[in-house]
Amino acid sequence: MEPTEAKRQTVASMLRGIERYNPENIHTLEQYVELQSRENGYDLEANLALLKLYQFTPGTYQSNIACQILLKALTNLPHTDFVLCKCLLGQDQMEDVNIKRIMYLHDLLEMCQFQTFWTEKHKYSDLLSGIKDFSDSIRKYVCHVTAITYQNIEKHVLQQLLGNIDENALQGWMNKYGWKEIEDGLVSIASQEDTVKTKNITEKIDFDSVAGIMAACR
Amino acid sequence: MYNEFVDEYDSYALEGTENYHYADRIDGEYGERGGHYPTYSIPEEVKKYITYFRDAIRDGNVYDIPSLYMDFNRLTEEYYKTQSWPVVEDLYGNKLVEQDGMDDIFLILYKELYYRHIYARVQGGPTIPQRFESYYNYCSLFNYILNADTPVSLELPNQWLWEIIDEFIYQFQSFSQFRSKLGKKSEPEIEMLKESPKIWNVHSVLNVLHCLVDKSNINRQLEVYTSGGDPDSVAGEYGRHPLYKMLGYFSLIGLLRLHSLLGDYYQAIKVLENIELNKKSMYSRVPACQITTYYYVGFAYMMMRRYADAIRTFSNILVYIQRTKAMFQTRNYQNDQINKQTEQMYTLLAICMVLHPQRIDEAVQSSLREKTLAEKMSRMSRNDTQEFTACFTFACPKFLSPVPPILDSTSTSTRREPFQQQLKVFLDEVQQQQQISVMRSYLKLYTTMPMEKMATFQEMSETDFRNALLCFKHKMRNITWTKGTSGLQGDFQSDSEVDFFIDRNMIHIADTKVAQRYGDFFIRQIHKLEEVNRTLSKVKV
Repeated sequence: MEPTEAKRQTVASMLRGIERYNPENIHTLEQYVELQSRENGYDLEANLALLKLYQFTPGTYQSNIACQILLKALTNLPHTDFVLCKCLLGQDQMEDVNIKRIMYLHDLLEMCQFQTFWTEKHKYSDLLSGIKDFSDSIRKYVCHVTAITYQNIEKHVLQQLLGNIDENALQGWMNKYGWKEIEDGLVSIASQEDTVKTKNITEKIDFDSVAGIMAACR
Repeated sequence: MYNEFVDEYDSYALEGTENYHYADRIDGEYGERGGHYPTYSIPEEVKKYITYFRDAIRDGNVYDIPSLYMDFNRLTEEYYKTQSWPVVEDLYGNKLVEQDGMDDIFLILYKELYYRHIYARVQGGPTIPQRFESYYNYCSLFNYILNADTPVSLELPNQWLWEIIDEFIYQFQSFSQFRSKLGKKSEPEIEMLKESPKIWNVHSVLNVLHCLVDKSNINRQLEVYTSGGDPDSVAGEYGRHPLYKMLGYFSLIGLLRLHSLLGDYYQAIKVLENIELNKKSMYSRVPACQITTYYYVGFAYMMMRRYADAIRTFSNILVYIQRTKAMFQTRNYQNDQINKQTEQMYTLLAICMVLHPQRIDEAVQSSLREKTLAEKMSRMSRNDTQEFTACFTFACPKFLSPVPPILDSTSTSTRREPFQQQLKVFLDEVQQQQQISVMRSYLKLYTTMPMEKMATFQEMSETDFRNALLCFKHKMRNITWTKGTSGLQGDFQSDSEVDFFIDRNMIHIADTKVAQRYGDFFIRQIHKLEEVNRTLSKVKV
């Protein structure tokens, strides 16, 4: 078993019922956050439990752990984990300079301003270097957004969205998602015509809704 | 560790009985504010009522208790509109109850109503000692129920059981807010708060709710119930008893509310994981509980950016409320609460519909078209941040901080309200989605459109415009519940009215066209007419 997986099970058993609010769990949960950063594992529920413990016992709050939790939440985009974490922070904690910097990254990513994100990323290396495979996690999110938006995309645009990666790396991502280069410089993503189409909603009256009236009309 | 928490909880209660006399003593000093009622003036009707009620509890008379419980409201209207009910000493003084312990349970229940009435009706609200005593009274009640060697034989109407849990959390919420406003407090008041850090402590409130959930095996019962089995088969000795079963169920709803008040929306939805929200069940017979459940579930979904789920949740309950409206007409504070919550849900639904337009039930939709809401919606769709703020402020729950402020009043405490944080999270989200509604109105006009052309219309560079399109797709595609009991599960879906995809440089737009619904309209009118006819035929001239 992977170390994160083993830990996941121990932690899950720690968080049952009222035990979830036991401040003695804080240390273990903090270690677990660090393990997630190191091993590229992820456990939203445990991280939320830790933020809740911070909320209950503000004296124990550790900014660098909170930062890691938020960055890990970014790696799980397009899910809204980041928002869930943010709701458990206090206003004073939001004033922290690093937290603010992460909020900015979150804004960029949620608004799909990927080019800006990739150009500015190096300014955040102090925060990001501790999170294993952070860039690739973001690329996964980029691929998700691309896959729901595009039928065919120009190769250079795709390359740009993914952070100007080289030809080899691009091939790797294309293979992962089964995207093919159909003609020179054009990548086929997915057929969208079947899912995105104009809906005509016409009225259908089912028997049940008129049965009562018909019975009353006798 | 689990047991340690239980012990801790027990010791609160012990402390409670000790402190009780102490609290009584101070009550004298603050007595006037609480509306102390002299012994001789308990009206005959009230005396009679208390005696009946006492006997019903003594004899475990299940049939009379519900109507006696309702009578409390009636008598309140008549005799105690703004002043408190007689204190326990007055009941002793009038020999309405025995002091030898035989009426202990009745007194606990009486005090539950007595304090609840003070919170709701008495001018100036409860004093600090009254807040403390009410807490101790709940401790005594829950200790009696939870620490019994065999299930207690008490049976109370579901409505009351729900209100016990609801009020317990309400008083906790009220206390947290009272505590956080230090400015208006006197030295002795602050002293009193400082000396009693354990009263209305978040851990003990959570502990009570968790204990009730565990004791009743309610989660296991619900699991079996959903899969079609007999919940009694797993309920255990306590959980088979209606008192425990229902307290367990209501505690789950209580936890939903408590987690929401703390901003923990994930946990809020998670505690309901065994409750099938999209189905009627034997547990859902208390309307106030149903409405509270949907309000908090819908709100949590909205904060999690699961708009389709939030919209479904709100529409479901609003349709239900529209159909059963007559039930909530009488004015009492429970109904006032329900009506307020209904209005809040319309506002939340309006917010969700602005951010994520989609088709909803016609009857609910027509309420949204009413003037004030329609105006709010049109301002919000023009990205009016003030309107978003106003709607959120009106419709959100009363968030609270689980920890006391720094009680050394010399330091100007800078802990700001938890409300501000939740508002910020919400407005940040709105901000991120700012461009979407404008883009939607443009897209609606076309079926295909080259990217660069549309970018020029919107005075954006092509890159910025592409990002905005990607953002549109990303934000409109939310996790949506599809099946199963857990409200957290779901798949990514897009229920947006306007959708599109990009092929190379061409945007292909798909709109939703809705034909007029005549049949639906006629069916509604026919039903209305029939109802009028029925009512008319009952009128005797």
